Amino acid sequence: MANRWVLLFVLGVIAVLMAAPLVLTLFTSLKPTTELVNPAWYPPIDLTFEHYIRVWTEGGFSRYFVNTLIISVVDAIVMILIASLAAYAMVFMQFPGKMLLQLLFVLGLMIPVTAVVLPLFQIVRSFGLLNTHLGVIFADLALAVSVFVFMFTSYFAGVPKALHEAARIDGATEFQIYRRVVMPIATPAVVTTALLEFLWSWNDLLLRLLLMTRDEMRTLSVGLLNFQGTMTRDVTGLSSGTVIMAIPVVLLFLVFQRSFVRGMTAGAVK
Amino acid sequence: MAGLELKNLSKAYGQTEVLHDINLSIADGEFIVFVGPSGCGKSTLLRMIAGLEEITGGELMIGGTRANELSPKQRDIAMVFQSYALYPQMTVAENMGFSLSLERKSKAEIAAKVQEAADALQLGPYLDRKPGQLSGGQRQRVAIGRAIVRKPKVFLLDEPLSNLDAALRSETRVEISELHQRMETTMIYVTHDQVEAMTMADRIVVLNGGYIEQVGSPMDLYNNPASEFVAGFIGSPKMNFIKGAPADAVGATTLGVRPEHFEMNPSEGAWQGKVTLVERLGHDTVLYVNVEGAGPVTVNLSGQHSQNVGDTVHLKPDAHFIHKFDHEGRPISV
Ligand SMILES: Nc1ncnc2c1ncn2[C@@H]1O[C@H](COP(=O)(O)OP(=O)(O)OP(=O)(O)O)[C@@H](O)[C@H]1O
Ligand SMILES: [Mg+2]
Repeated sequence: MANRWVLLFVLGVIAVLMAAPLVLTLFTSLKPTTELVNPAWYPPIDLTFEHYIRVWTEGGFSRYFVNTLIISVVDAIVMILIASLAAYAMVFMQFPGKMLLQLLFVLGLMIPVTAVVLPLFQIVRSFGLLNTHLGVIFADLALAVSVFVFMFTSYFAGVPKALHEAARIDGATEFQIYRRVVMPIATPAVVTTALLEFLWSWNDLLLRLLLMTRDEMRTLSVGLLNFQGTMTRDVTGLSSGTVIMAIPVVLLFLVFQRSFVRGMTAGAVK
Repeated sequence: MAGLELKNLSKAYGQTEVLHDINLSIADGEFIVFVGPSGCGKSTLLRMIAGLEEITGGELMIGGTRANELSPKQRDIAMVFQSYALYPQMTVAENMGFSLSLERKSKAEIAAKVQEAADALQLGPYLDRKPGQLSGGQRQRVAIGRAIVRKPKVFLLDEPLSNLDAALRSETRVEISELHQRMETTMIYVTHDQVEAMTMADRIVVLNGGYIEQVGSPMDLYNNPASEFVAGFIGSPKMNFIKGAPADAVGATTLGVRPEHFEMNPSEGAWQGKVTLVERLGHDTVLYVNVEGAGPVTVNLSGQHSQNVGDTVHLKPDAHFIHKFDHEGRPISV
């Protein structure tokens, strides 16, 4: 029994340490400016939403939010499509150059993002896609596709070959087998891909900073930088902006908690 | 419905050839069984006919037309897999109707055909269930149902009963035979179980090491095996092969005598030996006898007998049913 209490205590301490920054940010974002002199761990006394309203309207966060949402949702959907189609071909079809392609995907897993960021910027610019949603989406997909192809490939490898053969005998084309036989049983891989790609896309700063220079194209992650000048810092703006950006993530996490944990372990196998 | 023609068919994986020079003519509506030991190439041959495995040599004709390059769909065959390979996310009805829905048949037509097949296989109550909610035997029937709804030209089955328990296996064996009689479709059935082969086949194809060892009706194979291998493979308990003095006496390398072809306590010419084991099956009694000068011999006696381990018995092979083989295992004609 003593062990149990020690365990709970340790877990409690960890939980507090993890939650503290979030809670303090939430406190700050809800405090009237006059209360900012109080220490950070003081809860707000007169609750106010003025900072949220300011950030959402004058701060341009409504626009940033829409930008972020468009990019993340499209990223997630398109990623599911291309990664699963590529993996399907790798697992169930025979074609010349398959080995080479497989090698390229594995290579894609090993190259760090920072190493290719500059050429990626030049490619996006040469296509005239700077400051467009499309440019960021292409870049996101290119950088992460290997990971998800790998994930779908390992998932499809577990699908019995006889299922594919039975469908061929039933007269299905490869695309019909993909759509009606294989994808319906790949839900865990689909959910994991959707969640991880959405979150990466939602939280990414580097690519968006490089590819989106015009204010109206900015995403939330970039928008947060507005509150941090070289000399000044808009603490309440930064806090409420952070909370706005965190809300969808927290909601997603609550809804998909179980798939999320599974996805994390799936990623760990990589 | 269609007959099949296999002309000099062969299969190689890279450098290794696993099927050699297969020639076989299958009549329309025939029930053919491929039988042979594990690894002899039964499944590979079936999959080549199905279009799941590339044909690397020779020609396959289905219904008079060359089928080598045709897709499984174009060949108009259906197949039942050993693992059943049911689509796990679809209901029983959807599984059975999948091929029809791909052909863009109307919902009503699909439903009617599925219902018809389900009635024939007593699957009516399970149409809305998923495969995961069925017993092994029910899944097996869904797999058969999926194959018959389309009324294919040729019906292929790869060890469809090997995942069932003994009782269900003999029950389903009968059902498949009845199904074949009703549908009159050409069926090719793969098994390594010689009892299934004997009971179901019009003709049996015995494969060994990638070659066809013999083709014939079950009784052909039993009475006139073309080799020592076939003689040993067909029949249960297995044929006794006796070398040494008794074989030399009749000018053969090996004598083959089936366990059921012994006479007990003959008046003359008896072999003598001690019983080492007795199996009492009720309708039959199986004695394992160590015969002096001939070695261990299995004897299958009809009915119940009182011999016990350690008893000395006198036996004589029935002269009508003695098989003689030369040093290559080929039969010596009498
Ligand atoms: N993809 C492959 N590559 C190389 N060799 C193969 C391949 N598939 C099968 N073989 C070989 O072909 C031979 C025949 O295999 P097959 O599966 O047809 O045997 P089988 O008679 O069906 O045996 P079982 O009763 O065990 O199912 C075997 O020796 C096997 O090792
Ligand atoms: Mg096999």
